[in-house]
Amino acid sequence: MDTIDDLERQIQELEKANRILTKKLERSEKNRIQLEETHERQQRLLYQAIQGLERSLHELQQAQLQLVQSEKMSALGNLVAGVAHEINNPVGFVAGNLCEAQRSFADLCDHLNLYRTQAPASVLEEHAEAIHLDFLLEDLPEILTSMEVGCDRIRNISTSLRAFARADKDYKVPYDIHEGLDNTLLILKYRLRANESRPAIEVMTDYGQLPLIPCFPGQLKQVLMNIIANAIDALDEYSNGLGYEAIEARGNYIKIQTSVIEEQAIIRITDNGKGISEEIKDNIFDYLFTTKEMGKGTGLGLAIAHQIIVEKHGGLLEVNSQLGEGAEFVIRLPLTDC
Amino acid sequence: MFQVVVGHSNDPDGVAAAVEILEQCKSALQSKTPQAGILFAAPELDHRIILEQICQTFPGIQLIGGTSDGEISSLLEFQQDSVTLMLFCSDEVEFIATVGRQVSQDPIAIARQTAELAKAKATLPPRLCLTSPESLTTSGVTILEGLKQGLGQEIPIVGGTTGDQWQFRATKQFFGTEVLNDSVPILLLTGNLKFGYGVSNGWHPVGKKGIVTKAKGNVLYEVDGQPILEVYQSYLGDIRPSPEYRLAVYEPEGTHWYMRSSNGHYDHASGSITFFADIPEQATVQIVHASRDEIVNAAQVSVQQALERYTGQEPAAALMFSCTGRLYVLGTRAKEEYVIVKDSLNQSLSLNQQLPCCGFYTYGEIAPLKLQGESQFHNETFVTLLLGCQ
Ligand SMILES: Nc1ncnc2c1ncn2[C@@H]1O[C@H](COP(=O)(O)OP(=O)(O)O)[C@@H](O)[C@H]1O
Ligand SMILES: [Mg+2]
Repeated sequence: MDTIDDLERQIQELEKANRILTKKLERSEKNRIQLEETHERQQRLLYQAIQGLERSLHELQQAQLQLVQSEKMSALGNLVAGVAHEINNPVGFVAGNLCEAQRSFADLCDHLNLYRTQAPASVLEEHAEAIHLDFLLEDLPEILTSMEVGCDRIRNISTSLRAFARADKDYKVPYDIHEGLDNTLLILKYRLRANESRPAIEVMTDYGQLPLIPCFPGQLKQVLMNIIANAIDALDEYSNGLGYEAIEARGNYIKIQTSVIEEQAIIRITDNGKGISEEIKDNIFDYLFTTKEMGKGTGLGLAIAHQIIVEKHGGLLEVNSQLGEGAEFVIRLPLTDC
Repeated sequence: MFQVVVGHSNDPDGVAAAVEILEQCKSALQSKTPQAGILFAAPELDHRIILEQICQTFPGIQLIGGTSDGEISSLLEFQQDSVTLMLFCSDEVEFIATVGRQVSQDPIAIARQTAELAKAKATLPPRLCLTSPESLTTSGVTILEGLKQGLGQEIPIVGGTTGDQWQFRATKQFFGTEVLNDSVPILLLTGNLKFGYGVSNGWHPVGKKGIVTKAKGNVLYEVDGQPILEVYQSYLGDIRPSPEYRLAVYEPEGTHWYMRSSNGHYDHASGSITFFADIPEQATVQIVHASRDEIVNAAQVSVQQALERYTGQEPAAALMFSCTGRLYVLGTRAKEEYVIVKDSLNQSLSLNQQLPCCGFYTYGEIAPLKLQGESQFHNETFVTLLLGCQ
């Protein structure tokens, strides 16, 4: 009897277990379908997210390029006054000489006309004296030559400006870095001149034997411009605290030295300006870091210089400096494209 | 005295399940007679038979409940496709069940009358109201508004709306032996009742805030003038709306927020998405984010809140209302919710036996956010309610 009851109970329990298991199977099928749908949604989400990221990355790169270009333009903008002055000088000088040449030319024409009317020798003699003919004949070629020099200077400046503003190709080209340095110095010339608070800044160049370097010339000149302009700023700031004579005794200079060491072109730009303190040395390459007053500093110069040298050219940009001891910026560029 | 027992069966056969839960309850009750009960059952079970069996065994019992997306108890812990029953016996607490029918015809008035009727039947002032209203035919927010009007803002209302396992076709409410839809059953508790509640969700807002420029009830049309479907698609791509669509809705004061989640219904033509509950126009909204860990952890936060707020020393039982959206996100980790709650209760109360617990996964949770605050309608939350006499 007992065993039959037992068996019946066991059968009932098995039946219940069977019902529950069947239900669980159904549930697990439902869950599997749900899982599939969720998986598909997650995949699409992931895809969307990746696309979004790629898009933002692209936009970021575009924005960065634009920033570089606009920083360059704003650097140029800052130089406009100086460059205008630089051009005005030879223009004034050519214009002054032009008046002189016109007057001399008119006198010469008069004299020639006297010859054509077959005036007597005494009249010719008298006129020659009156117009200082001997001096005129000597002076006019000189006036013309110096006008040519003035025009050359204007042409140089305009070429440099154009070269500086020109957008680069999207691949590197072999380039003479010394030309870039000279261009940049020419554009900055006005800022190097003496002014009321300090004597002229002496630029000492020591160019070594450099091959043509594969690079983006426009970007590279932008770097040189940023570093040299900073050096001039540092010298201006240093001079502010000192008297004119004290500065004259010490001498303001910027030294530019180039060389090749171990497959690298090295450009050292050294100044004896105010130098950089330890506290800010780590920050000077940061975006928007500046110690200059509003309107003067943007804090972009070195950040962009760093980006151009390191990321675009696979080079290095280092600084050596101590407060009050001037500063040295060292650019290292690989000789071959990597 | 406040004795609470639970039964829980995962037998898909209605009769067998009813027999099993009643066996479990009777043996725990030791011949005491319960005055009230609350029943949560999977949608596919034969609810009529189960309700009849309970009412036959305990004539006159005040019984409410409804269909659920998942069931929790201290007996079988987390289950789906099961039925769980909690029974209450007390000589210090009075229980009155009433129901409002065809509530969608006039949600506020019908809910108010249902509450007023229960109040009229009670011999003592109301202390707490439990409810398991319909979720599909009308807005849970308006039903709650009616209940608050009938009871007074100061009486806490706790519970959850009934579900149908993401079918969104029909949910059922239980009242005595009746299986209803479009109704609002309530269980009013009066007398020497001690309780504490907690609400937590684990989500946090991320991204851009926006202003709701067009909404009607629980249908959201536009945020910042842009169709909400487009807003989501700009984040999620061209995928069909799903439970991924959740929003934090800020209170007018601007710092507190509650959650709304989509029930998966949307309309391409108008670019609208339907949510589990109302979203007011001009409200500030923001997309929300959470990890599974944060979601599971919210259950513990909710229990801790309930323990801190408990008005007595020794709770005799716990009810839990967890959002079906949590179930969806937690997947296989859904069972951790109860485990973390159990551990938290055991640790804090140092009991020598398991505290009777019962709960279900809802389409919307109801509880006050703050102590003495008005009851509110939530999505994505875990609500804990502790009950007792001591
Ligand atoms: N040659 C230098 N000597 C001293 N300080 C320098 C020199 N070059 C750069 N710095 C410091 O680095 C800062 C950042 O330079 P930069 O990025 O070019 O921005 P900006 O020139 O607009 O301030 C400068 O503000 C300055 O303090
Ligand atoms: Mg600078």
